[in-house]
Amino acid sequence: MQVKFEFAIYDEALDKFELDEKIYSYELNEEETETYSILKSVDLHLYNFFQESESFKSWIKDEVYPNMIGGKIAICDINEISFRRYYFFKVTSADVHYEYFKKLFKIHHEIDWQGREEVGKEILEQLKIKRQELIIELKKDIVENEA
Amino acid sequence: MNYKYINNMLSEMDKDLSSKGMTRRDAMKLAGISGASFMMGGSNLSAMEKDEKPIAKSGVDAKIVIVGGGLAGMSTAARLTLNIKNPDITVIEPNKQSVSYQPGQTLVAAGIWDADEIIYNRDDFVPEGTKIIEDKVIDFDPMNNQVTTAKGQVIDYDYLVVATGLQLDFERLEGLEHAGRAYSIGDNSRLHKAMGDDSGICSIYTAEGATKTWEQMQKYIEKAKNAKDGKKVQFLFTHPGTPIKCGGAPKKIMYLANARLKEAGARENAELIFYPNGGAMFGIPEYHDAILEQFKRENFKWHYRTNLIGVEIENKIAIFDSQWQEKGPYDPVMKDFEVISKHEKIRVPYDFLHITPDAVAPREVAESDIGSAAGWVPVNKETLQHIKFKNVFALGDIAQVPMGKTGGSVRKQYKVVVDNLISQMEGKPLTSKYGGYTVCPLITDIGTVMLAEFDWSVKPTPSFPLDPLVERWVHWLMKVYALKPMTMYGMLSGKA
Repeated sequence: MQVKFEFAIYDEALDKFELDEKIYSYELNEEETETYSILKSVDLHLYNFFQESESFKSWIKDEVYPNMIGGKIAICDINEISFRRYYFFKVTSADVHYEYFKKLFKIHHEIDWQGREEVGKEILEQLKIKRQELIIELKKDIVENEA
Repeated sequence: MNYKYINNMLSEMDKDLSSKGMTRRDAMKLAGISGASFMMGGSNLSAMEKDEKPIAKSGVDAKIVIVGGGLAGMSTAARLTLNIKNPDITVIEPNKQSVSYQPGQTLVAAGIWDADEIIYNRDDFVPEGTKIIEDKVIDFDPMNNQVTTAKGQVIDYDYLVVATGLQLDFERLEGLEHAGRAYSIGDNSRLHKAMGDDSGICSIYTAEGATKTWEQMQKYIEKAKNAKDGKKVQFLFTHPGTPIKCGGAPKKIMYLANARLKEAGARENAELIFYPNGGAMFGIPEYHDAILEQFKRENFKWHYRTNLIGVEIENKIAIFDSQWQEKGPYDPVMKDFEVISKHEKIRVPYDFLHITPDAVAPREVAESDIGSAAGWVPVNKETLQHIKFKNVFALGDIAQVPMGKTGGSVRKQYKVVVDNLISQMEGKPLTSKYGGYTVCPLITDIGTVMLAEFDWSVKPTPSFPLDPLVERWVHWLMKVYALKPMTMYGMLSGKA
């Protein structure tokens, strides 16, 4: 099974993401296909699965960004399951993103009475931490000396 | 009291209970045993009994200073006294009197209770051995473990508990700049002078204000009763943009005004309008939906996202900042349209205006090292320990904890503070945790209450085996008869 991926490149100095507009196709093996079909409805679990998959990370390093070893990236879309809001959320972002984060970060009750700007500020604060968890570091492979 | 209505309610309640295999007697028995306790924090009979067992007292030896002698501060002092062999506890509190049961202010404002039923003398509830300093803390110096009082006394401590409560920021409102900031109790003469004696403006958030609200309510109910020109008497109720004590209170007073209007046969000549700053009736979706249905049933009007910013007392005009959102440009990265926030000032004539003021941290806390940027005392929301100063704890209205500004929350919090404070003194890990429980007995009429209980799960967490979204007489009885003794003789003794 082929899955389409889109990525964002993280600029550590500016603490900013830039969208890579290209679409990349990754071939899942049988086991990965099974896991994908189970996790596709639970967005963050799906993300974690790929983030922790060594074969997926090798594919990125070897075929997607071979010249970016040491760099950092994040997944934007997996077969149109979108994670873009994590990297590009603004206080003016549409209500659907706003509600998603209010739920995710358990911003509720008294906070509901506050203005969009204030809640948006709180979402951005929490996103700072969450984004770091989503970043995939393209580490150089360490070849052990067997001699 | 509308007895016909209550009789109808009783009959409805009997039907409801019998469908669940309970009689009214069973329900009342359950309410009598565990009801009062669960309403103040979801405990049960076995937990109460556990409290009765002899406590192994800690032998820790340190000076504990509690700033604030309200419900949170005094309950903490009482429980520390029960749990420490030789307690050295000092409470700093300027007021001789305290409002034991602040939710009772809505009942005073509707003429159900008298003002003296909610006020108690602080000195009647001082735990044995606890020292009281009748003064106000004006400076916190956590780096040197000291606080300074208004009379210039510098007090050292080993451990500090902050329970100052919050302030009511009336002076923020245009037209009430001279009102200053108020506390629930104490000298609020500036506020009441600025509001005027007979202006139609009132607020239940001070003890004196609750009495004045009842005076004004009666006057405008009378006006509605005698209205002959078809012009409806305008009753306006506001809800601000800050966290407040008991999020349901602004609506409770509206429901009670509605009940009194119906009782006087004047409801048709009155318009009741709710102006909340937010976009929902309640933060918990299930309760929001239930309240919305009640609003429709009672023929209330409401305007979301309207924040009171001023009053023209002479012209009887309330000024609101009305906010709304419009569709903005397409964002190609997010693949969605942006949202643009807009706002404008609107002027609304009123006859009766109930103000729920912004709630803020007292300046001496907000501007000191123990306050956060928002003013409240930043604590770990579970252990209630200050995030920076490990010998400082906070609870009640001043603690920066989501959904924590109710008596029901305090009932959970003060036990956590005492457990963790003793653990900290003994050098042990802090294992006691506050889970975010809070409760709002939402009065929907004279004789009915919807018991909104919830925690950080943002779901109703009922302690009673009944549908939490239904308004019930049995909850009204607990609200009116059981909660006050529970507070005064349970919490203030450090046991419940």
